[in-house]
Amino acid sequence: MLYALIAGVLFGLYYALIGLGLNLTFGVLRMVNLAHGDFVMIGGFAAVTAFSAWHLHPLWSLVLVAVLIFAVGIALYYVLVPRIAATKDPEMISLVLFFGLSQVIEALAVMRFGNNTQSIYEPVFGKAPVSILGQPFPAVWVVSGLVSLLALLLVYLYLYRTRIGYSTRAVMASREEAEVSGISVHKVSAIAFAIGLGLAAAAGALAPFMLGGITPDLGVGLTITAFAVIVLGSLGNPVGTVAGGLIYGIALMLMQTYLPSWSALLPYLLLLLVLLVKPSGLFGRQVRSA
Amino acid sequence: MKQLRRYLFGLAGVAALLIAGCGSTTSTTTSSTAPKDITIGTLYAGSGSYATSSLPELAGLKFWMSQVNKDGGVFVKAYNKKIPVKLVDYNDQSDPNTAQTLYTQLITQDKVNILVSDFGSVLTSVAVPIAQEHKMVLFDPTGTGASFFTPTNPYIVLTGLPTSAVWPDNLAKYLLAQNFKKVAIVYAENDFDQSQDETLTTQLKAGGVTPVYNQGVPTTTSNYDVIIHNIAATNPDAVLELGYPNNDIAFLQNLAASGQHFGFLFTIFPGQLFSLLEQNVGAKTLTDTYTYPTPPLLAYNSGVNYGMTISQFTQAFQSANGSAPNFLDIAGYNTGLAIQKTLETAKSLSQLDLRAAAGKIHMFTLDGDFTINKEGAQMGETLPVGQIQASGSGLKTVIVFPSSVATGTAVH
Repeated sequence: MLYALIAGVLFGLYYALIGLGLNLTFGVLRMVNLAHGDFVMIGGFAAVTAFSAWHLHPLWSLVLVAVLIFAVGIALYYVLVPRIAATKDPEMISLVLFFGLSQVIEALAVMRFGNNTQSIYEPVFGKAPVSILGQPFPAVWVVSGLVSLLALLLVYLYLYRTRIGYSTRAVMASREEAEVSGISVHKVSAIAFAIGLGLAAAAGALAPFMLGGITPDLGVGLTITAFAVIVLGSLGNPVGTVAGGLIYGIALMLMQTYLPSWSALLPYLLLLLVLLVKPSGLFGRQVRSA
Repeated sequence: MKQLRRYLFGLAGVAALLIAGCGSTTSTTTSSTAPKDITIGTLYAGSGSYATSSLPELAGLKFWMSQVNKDGGVFVKAYNKKIPVKLVDYNDQSDPNTAQTLYTQLITQDKVNILVSDFGSVLTSVAVPIAQEHKMVLFDPTGTGASFFTPTNPYIVLTGLPTSAVWPDNLAKYLLAQNFKKVAIVYAENDFDQSQDETLTTQLKAGGVTPVYNQGVPTTTSNYDVIIHNIAATNPDAVLELGYPNNDIAFLQNLAASGQHFGFLFTIFPGQLFSLLEQNVGAKTLTDTYTYPTPPLLAYNSGVNYGMTISQFTQAFQSANGSAPNFLDIAGYNTGLAIQKTLETAKSLSQLDLRAAAGKIHMFTLDGDFTINKEGAQMGETLPVGQIQASGSGLKTVIVFPSSVATGTAVH
């Protein structure tokens, strides 16, 4: 029981990292990026490729791929989002467009990397397990938990301690009012969108260790789980994502211990439960009204 | 006179009908003339979780086609001549729903002569009822789920492997022979793995051993850490993980990272996709683990009386495709051989005649002894137990059970 709880916290932090970027994007753009999981997959393949080609440590890959995908995110935002925003039904169009983007990324990944699972088996984070409260855990889980905490802290500092972060929160509260008060909504949104993708790619660099390997079709499933995590915490509230991730992680590990057959249903069960009991999510003050 | 004229008109009418009847007889004869080619319809997973296994299986089938077409085609007894073989294949993207539509399309739109299912039990499970409904024999290379083979379904032939319920026969015997009392089993919840679990638990219980851990997990499981921890808590003598390649990779990776070690560890796919597993979990993790060795690890060179031997196939396949074959390439090729033998002996191309001919096949191929039972299940190709052992700087697979085919002894 204690092992499952601690494992759930560590695994939950990792899922919070995956969901954080998706929630930040939704909070600012009011659009669900259905290609979010595919950027996790890109980060995973980048880490595997960099390790096999140059023996680059996955933590370096994590930083590099996050920066690179951040830059890609800025460009992608200006290519896609203003056009979607100008349409009659931007939310629906964005769903279709990001789904299409997801399919394109998956197809390109198949062409580049093939269909086989790829992973890193060498013990790059240490051979010995790490003991927490007397329970041994794989070192990579602990590293992943720490990286996730660091990323969550940086996003918190960005949102609550920087000027651009204040503007981001203003846009999250009301795009129209933020625009009227002189905030460059597109600039703020582009940065938030790019941070979201960068975080996804950073999580991806740890995916070969946390998710048993990388395959091109990983994206869709991850997007669904990340979506469940952020709905649990509250759509549009990045801080709630941490709680959502932790609940998901602990529930998953308890399920694997006591009812393993049901564990694949967990994201959907949690989604149903939240929608029935507290549709606004656990931290649901800032839920969208539309 | 009037009556005679009416009579004559009546005769003329009957004659006209007879001529028309002759015409129809002629058209029947025309339709039974040899077709331009024999069409084989199949699906493959070009992407998704089964692509790793499905694409080599398709490559093996294509290799067989290229071999027979190079020789002028496959001999069809019904027409007493060789006819070229043509493939109609669609990508189901590992999605059973897509596969369902495409199997129907192969039968109703493309009207293929021979239907071959995609890799594995998940993508074959949707083909079984469709083939039965359309009274079309399903040549099934690797869909080994025991539930596919029933006395009421005469439209299935398993070509590449025994039914999964038969797979663990030798494994269960070996575990009992080793006197293991505490056996832990974790299996993925699909026909393929579940039926193996059922066989194992039944045979172990008959031998006085009740598994100390026996849990199913979703086939999509990608993290086994907590499960490994729970298994370790039962102090098992032997641990069996039954899954698909991605399950095996995740399990072995998590086990290596966890620092746990089990004295006897069995997984399925190192015996079929050795290179893939080695690339993803490393030689060290695989060393001393157990598996079902399949060709080419199980090398059938002597006694082969139909098609190439394993050495001939390996050489020819490598020169044609640029890479060494794995078991699934062999399963695809072996399916081709089964189709070839069926066409060589069937008295017509009707589906029931094809099925009857397949039922009478007795041949020894590079995949072993080919014998199916009344329900279409493969019974000949039994799977021994093998251990992956260190050999110089690499690894080798040693067959350790049964003793009749053993090539070495287990290292503990």
